[in-house]
Amino acid sequence: MVGRHSLELALPGATIGAAAGAMAGGLTLLAGQPAGLAALSALALAVPLALFGGLYGVLLGEGLLRHGTFGPSGLYWMAAFPLSRLFQDGVAGPGTTEGVGAFLAFQAMVSLGFALGFVWVHERLMPHWLLRRATVNPRAAALLETYVRHAQVTHRRKGARR
Amino acid sequence: MDTSKTPAAAAPPVEDERVWKAGRLEPMPIRRLPDAPPSVHILGPTVFLVALGVGMGESYMWPRLVLLFGPEIRWLFLIGVTLQAVVMLEMARYAMATGESIFSGAARVFKPLMWFFFVVAIAVYIWPGHLSAGAAAFEQITGIPWMVTAIIGLVLVGVVFSLAKVIYNVLENVLSLLIGTLVIGTAVVAAMVGSWSDVASTLSGMFAIGYLPSEAMSAAWFPVIVGACAFAGPSGMQQMWYTLHLRDSGAGMGAHIPRIRGLRHAGEEEAMPSRGFMFDTDDPAEMAKWRGWRRWVTFDALLLFWGVTMLVTVSFTVIAQAAARQNPGVRAVIQNEEREVALTAMADAVSSAGSSVLGTIFLGFIALIGLNATLGLFDSFSRGQADMTYNFVPGAKKLRMSHLYAGFLWGVIIFGILILLFGPADGPSGILDTLAFLSTFAMGAYCVTLLLVNNRMLPKPIRPRWWTNVIIGFGACFYLGMLFYSLFAFGVVVG
Repeated sequence: MVGRHSLELALPGATIGAAAGAMAGGLTLLAGQPAGLAALSALALAVPLALFGGLYGVLLGEGLLRHGTFGPSGLYWMAAFPLSRLFQDGVAGPGTTEGVGAFLAFQAMVSLGFALGFVWVHERLMPHWLLRRATVNPRAAALLETYVRHAQVTHRRKGARR
Repeated sequence: MDTSKTPAAAAPPVEDERVWKAGRLEPMPIRRLPDAPPSVHILGPTVFLVALGVGMGESYMWPRLVLLFGPEIRWLFLIGVTLQAVVMLEMARYAMATGESIFSGAARVFKPLMWFFFVVAIAVYIWPGHLSAGAAAFEQITGIPWMVTAIIGLVLVGVVFSLAKVIYNVLENVLSLLIGTLVIGTAVVAAMVGSWSDVASTLSGMFAIGYLPSEAMSAAWFPVIVGACAFAGPSGMQQMWYTLHLRDSGAGMGAHIPRIRGLRHAGEEEAMPSRGFMFDTDDPAEMAKWRGWRRWVTFDALLLFWGVTMLVTVSFTVIAQAAARQNPGVRAVIQNEEREVALTAMADAVSSAGSSVLGTIFLGFIALIGLNATLGLFDSFSRGQADMTYNFVPGAKKLRMSHLYAGFLWGVIIFGILILLFGPADGPSGILDTLAFLSTFAMGAYCVTLLLVNNRMLPKPIRPRWWTNVIIGFGACFYLGMLFYSLFAFGVVVG
């Protein structure tokens, strides 16, 4: 049961990861490539990004990452994003012409931007999802509590305005 | 200087009676500073600056300059965007300490200074140029005529802001999702088409301080470089409007000011106070909270504003470099063309580097940027003009702030539709130079205004440090100096 509850927390992050991988990975390789290879390329990026995105939500639920903060999330994606790209490149890409080291270093730099966008969107989606699941999922309820605490502080800050 | 904290002559309650006198306007009552957020948090009003700042400068002007003059030209971008981050922190200083906009601060120093910005805002920002650029990119993707998209977009913006219960909340949510999508998308596309050498040259170029090739010092290109420097990050009056968003987000003493509501919910709005508030800067506990707020906004400035702006422009530059590497002919095309044609040329180049769909994605990003800018600019313009009208036009307080906001919003929308239908969307070509001049001039002017407001209107313990003043002073010289050099040396103001 605990497993399923944790997995539910993974949904927003997994969705963002899958959409990002499918959107950019698939489209950029679509033209000029056989449809099968294009789909494989999209899938090869969407799957790892979805897995890592989902894991991000689970780690939030476990308290290993804190919502809304960038530092740990940036480090997380600095490892996860290059690995995802390496996987995609290995499965359906042209191969790393600059060598694996330079490839990973480049991807790690870009990953910080990806991390920023991911956390930004995740912060928007996660509270809505938790509100829906909190009544039947204790892990969702616990995580929602941390969001509510933050919201209460923000609300107190704006308290003078009813 | 007519600023002093005057303790009440009578006995307590102290907090109700003490005031902070700043300039000749109504003194600010002393109130408690709210607690700063418990941790650095990624979501804040900076989303507005990012939405306004990540525009044509980052996606088009700077990548184009890199293709023409090499990555070394980016040292000017580094200066421009870093300067803007410091300006942002200083704008926040006054807004968070008082709950007033920088316009009110300017009025406390010298009222005509504020009216200057009131007039400049109308002259520069009523032309629907941003939206038409985005709509033109959308037309290339979908085939839907740009004018139809632009007019529908204008009406939609008006309807959404009129129906919103609290405008700030709606806008923060919408812009966050749009910017988030843009950031994720550009990062993934850059990751797929770029290489280590592209990003390394892009980044190392930022430290080639002083690099200006001879072709850049020409009548054709120097004004373009001046314009690009001004458009590194938020340009024109956008930093000033940020103080209004800070206030509406409840940052610092902004918590004591009611928020602007949409037209439909105008009746629920509390009466707006005619002046801001000040906290007790002699109280160590209040000063500790103030330092918390400064940490919060510094995090926003450095990570969100500086980071996202830098990231988007690095990503677009990497994409453009990859395109030029695979299709060297693009450099000549971009060199000679106007903005609209050059955007298409860059999209074509990007297509040739990856695929035709990649070019579509590029245009999609441009359309997204146009939408961001329209939402942000229309809201900011209406917010700023309403603030100045409400506080400084006699009799305006008979109306609610929401009504004034809606008046300016629908005014700019109706004017925009008329111009789209019957005139040039960017504004009559004869006055374009003047508008570009005013926009850049406003940036130099707001640096001077900031120095005056923060150093004369705030209590000593929370005034800026000397080195911050030096940077803002440099900003004034940087914008005004380049602008007037361009004007006198080449007879052209901004490209």
